[in-house]
Amino acid sequence: MTTDASIITIALTAILINNFIFSQFLGCCPFLGCSSKVDTAIGMGLAVTFVMGLASAICYIVDIYILVPLNLQFLETLAFILIIASLVQFVEMFLKKAIPSLYSALGIYLPLITTNCAVLGVVLLNVQYGFNFIQSTLYGVFGGLGFLVAIVLFASVRERIDHAEYPECFEGFPICLVSAALLALAFMGFSGMKIPL
Amino acid sequence: MKKIIKLALVLFLISAIVAGVLGVVNELTKDRIEQIKEKKTREAYAEVLKAETYDDAKYKGKDTQVQMVSVAKDKDGNAIGYVVETVVTGSQGSITVIVGVDNDLKCTGISITDSSETSGLGAVASSPSDKGVAFRANFVGQGKDLDLTKNGGEIDQLTGATITSTAVVTAVRSAITACESLG
Amino acid sequence: MNIKKQFKEGLITNNPVLVQLIGMCATMAITTTLFNGVGMGLSVLIILTCCNVVVAAIRKIIPNEIRLAIFVVVIAGFVTIVDLLLQAFVPALSEALGVFIPLIVVNCIIIGRAEAFCQKNTVAASFFDGIFQGLGYTVVLIIMCLIRELLGFGTIGGGLIDAAKGLTLDGTGSGIAVFGANYQGAMILTMPFGGFLTLGVLIAVMQYALKKSADKKAKKEAEK
Repeated sequence: MTTDASIITIALTAILINNFIFSQFLGCCPFLGCSSKVDTAIGMGLAVTFVMGLASAICYIVDIYILVPLNLQFLETLAFILIIASLVQFVEMFLKKAIPSLYSALGIYLPLITTNCAVLGVVLLNVQYGFNFIQSTLYGVFGGLGFLVAIVLFASVRERIDHAEYPECFEGFPICLVSAALLALAFMGFSGMKIPL
Repeated sequence: MKKIIKLALVLFLISAIVAGVLGVVNELTKDRIEQIKEKKTREAYAEVLKAETYDDAKYKGKDTQVQMVSVAKDKDGNAIGYVVETVVTGSQGSITVIVGVDNDLKCTGISITDSSETSGLGAVASSPSDKGVAFRANFVGQGKDLDLTKNGGEIDQLTGATITSTAVVTAVRSAITACESLG
Repeated sequence: MNIKKQFKEGLITNNPVLVQLIGMCATMAITTTLFNGVGMGLSVLIILTCCNVVVAAIRKIIPNEIRLAIFVVVIAGFVTIVDLLLQAFVPALSEALGVFIPLIVVNCIIIGRAEAFCQKNTVAASFFDGIFQGLGYTVVLIIMCLIRELLGFGTIGGGLIDAAKGLTLDGTGSGIAVFGANYQGAMILTMPFGGFLTLGVLIAVMQYALKKSADKKAKKEAEK
């Protein structure tokens, strides 16, 4: 990804070619934990997208205007995780007051987002790639959308696993991982895509 | 309210202690990390084209893949070629390739300092293993018309890593073209 | 709580990855060569042990409402220390693991142990818990690496061992080729697909083994 990456490049890369789950393994825990039903998967995916976009924007500002000028880059990890944790808390309170319907839909998933490594991953990658403010925010949002696509697809597959027959010892988690492996295989096809620059 | 203030104070105190400890560790390791980074860049430059000094050539061309062009000079101050830093898109993100170019606009060597390619496939391009060394040696002596063997060129591509191989070829081509534009 | 029981729990019956099913992101992402696996495993082991001890030591003085926030700060602190030390002394490892080192902060193993174990136990018990849970994690990483590397590249000990140079701690070793130099490798296993699949099969094997031993126990008791 060059520093002048266009919107389309970032979108295609984050959603398909370099999907957070299927090629970077970021956010696997909630991906496997919250994907037993399509509805909950959509809720989780939307909440993650929202927080990832917001976290990317805020962490960029904190990094460029506070940490870098003060030569405190070594505090990045600590600062970012605190920002994410308080952001999640804040979003939770805000939604509860402003949009109660959305809050009740997302409610239980919000606290879980703090420990979602896709969120911390995206802000750290933004720094590593040297993205500017707009690119960072876009990468956060599209990365989240990639997570949404992945978790919804996976939840749809899982709903059908119940009707399948498989060896007894694969009960529960293992069979899910095997299905995730097959989805990852499908997503690998995108890596051959020529990125328009 | 009083409780909230107390909680905030405790959290602040703990964060301050942790930040203080980190500051000390950072102070202790900072120089070493800096040295390692500098040494890596210097080694990469020397690896592709050995010279006494490297001066910024102030490249102002349109190719955004070219980050920086330096003129390599021997100890008498004669220009013996260029070292070009390029950043190209690989299969998993960007790849930083340092390319040495001599005065006849032939590649003298490449070094990949930063990449996030698939471990074991594209990552071989930058690895110190025999396969990686052989891949990079492929580029020595190539001009700007270089290409992969499957496209009729002389560069053997890495097994299972067409995108990475193509990206490195693109980087070398951009580098030589940039040097050509500088004359 | 005795040490022997903790040892068995960490490595087998309550293994963080295979039984508790936590900390899977890194398990699947970096296990392509033995060098990465051992490096990641040891980093987590050290961080986990340090965090466990600190959390257990301060468990009585921290207010309950903000304990999670404090855990996160402590964990982030240790992770950054290890990250800086790796950058300074083992740059090859820090490069190979990249963003997954700072991501140990959100590795559920560490916050999970802090919340589930150290809050209620003494410093000594937490110390051993950290070591054994960390070992359990490392062992799983090593098994994953061995399987994926052997089938994917046909080598053992990539990065860590070299056929000509012996032990290489700077990650340059090319490993020992088991199937000869001409082995093309099932590359697919080193890709994300292989990560999910190998872990899935490993957990299945674990479930099978645990069930077998439980059945045996039940049978024995029934006979009595």
